[in-house]
Amino acid sequence: MSFLSISGVTKRFGGVVANRDVSFEVAPGELVGVIGPNGAGKSTLFEIITGFYRPDEGEVRLEGTRLTGLSPDRVCRLGVARTFQKLRPFPAMTVLENVMVGALTRTRDVRHAREHAREILERVGLGDKAHAHGRTLSTGQRKRLELARALATRPRLLLLDEVTGGVDQGSIPGLVRLVRELHRDGLTVLVIEHNMRVITAVAQRIVALYLGEVIADGPPDVVARERRVVEAYLGQAYAQ
Amino acid sequence: MARGVPAAVFFGLAALGPLVVRDAFLLDGLILILLWGATASAWNVAGGYAGQVSLGHAAFFGLGAYSAALLGTRWSLSPWIGLLVGVLLSTVAGLIIGYLSNRLRGPYFVLATIAFSQVLLIVASRWRGFTAGSEGIPVPFRPGFWTLGIADKRGWVYLVLALGVLLYLVQQYLERSRRGYQLAAVREDEDAALSLGVAARRLKVVAIAASAALTAVCGALWAQYVGFVDPFYVFSVDLSVRFALAAIIGGLGTALGPFLGSVLITTLETYLRAQFGGVGAGLIGIYLIIYGCALVLVVRFVPQGLVGWLGDRLRRHGLAGTAP
Repeated sequence: MSFLSISGVTKRFGGVVANRDVSFEVAPGELVGVIGPNGAGKSTLFEIITGFYRPDEGEVRLEGTRLTGLSPDRVCRLGVARTFQKLRPFPAMTVLENVMVGALTRTRDVRHAREHAREILERVGLGDKAHAHGRTLSTGQRKRLELARALATRPRLLLLDEVTGGVDQGSIPGLVRLVRELHRDGLTVLVIEHNMRVITAVAQRIVALYLGEVIADGPPDVVARERRVVEAYLGQAYAQ
Repeated sequence: MARGVPAAVFFGLAALGPLVVRDAFLLDGLILILLWGATASAWNVAGGYAGQVSLGHAAFFGLGAYSAALLGTRWSLSPWIGLLVGVLLSTVAGLIIGYLSNRLRGPYFVLATIAFSQVLLIVASRWRGFTAGSEGIPVPFRPGFWTLGIADKRGWVYLVLALGVLLYLVQQYLERSRRGYQLAAVREDEDAALSLGVAARRLKVVAIAASAALTAVCGALWAQYVGFVDPFYVFSVDLSVRFALAAIIGGLGTALGPFLGSVLITTLETYLRAQFGGVGAGLIGIYLIIYGCALVLVVRFVPQGLVGWLGDRLRRHGLAGTAP
């Protein structure tokens, strides 16, 4: 049985079709990249998986459990965590407290949550920033904070929306390494990424979306050479 | 300086008050400071901690006051029973308002809360047969603790002090507990909180209902203390604004803030009433102007409230630690 299954998902906003009959599956322990130009429907798909949007048709299942129709907090408690494209740390809280909010989803004990949050901060390399405020962090550090918060909910499936987007070149390798480590430790990861070099280096498989539809699904080197993908990214002139 | 020290000092001084002061006017001021501080704290649970700013909390205060007064006059029931009934009614009303908070955001939610308190005002002032209408109802004085007929002002000081400490502890819980962290997350960014598994909607509704229930407790005790319930006072927007103002001036989402705000606002109002109360209609509304100015000054110069400002001061003078 597949771990995550997305079947026939369609989402319309008025006359715009953001996702059209999107179907693919993710095996346990897989690291799958989702690519596509702006407006391809990548983020909409994430919102649908995590329960923020309800699809007009189709459904999402995690190990057979239907996620579609559940509220985002329920989806999280079933083991799906996400990061946001637009970073949103809780501004009035310290880095540690930010992560504690995630940890408190899995424990009733504030002290446990604090310890767990500390461990996770160490793991993502923010151990020395525990008492800083979210707004004082650099973009790269904020990405790590988002990641830490999501990890604190002890997910089985992690959805990453643009891990390296807006981050300075120097911080990218560290973030990529971190995602690789999480994957190696057994986490199933679905990642949206604009940076083709990053995604082909990290993902075992790539799903390409264009105008809401899946136009390619396969190993990175194959998808990257796929005619329709090149067309979608660069226009028809380059596809020859 | 440890976390609870400023609060211990504040409540300790209040407890010493009746031992030192005999003057009825001053004791009355102390009682009102504690009572309004407790009410502002109850408001703070929704407005400060949950970030759901209401300008209709007089509705819950009035429900508490009327429940205690009506059950006492119509059926000679103990005000404690009236208090419980007021709490139940306010909890139900709070659940409804809480449900609205998930539909309406920002100004629309504020307007809905105002409308709600105005509806209750109309009901209370028009339903002559039951509430005695716009004349208001006197609350019978029957001596004894069970009937809350406490003649000695010192007794009242300790009663409202207990109420104040209770409200302070409730707020402390909201700062340190699991629910408190989750509520803060909802206040800061609801979507992010949801994505981390926080049941945001339910949590907001519970916070607003709890805030409503606590406000009703304050209303019921106030009715017994003052001895008269006037619909145009207990359901007024003025009163709602005062709860919010005390909390904002003292420090939104801080446990001691509403009490410090109440010290300022209650003394100011008592002073102004003594100064201008009898002079004629022209100056009676002056407190509104002064409230307005106070709010502007606080928001402009100490947006974190008196608690934040005092905390900074103490730290600067080498007393390490965090604000209460």
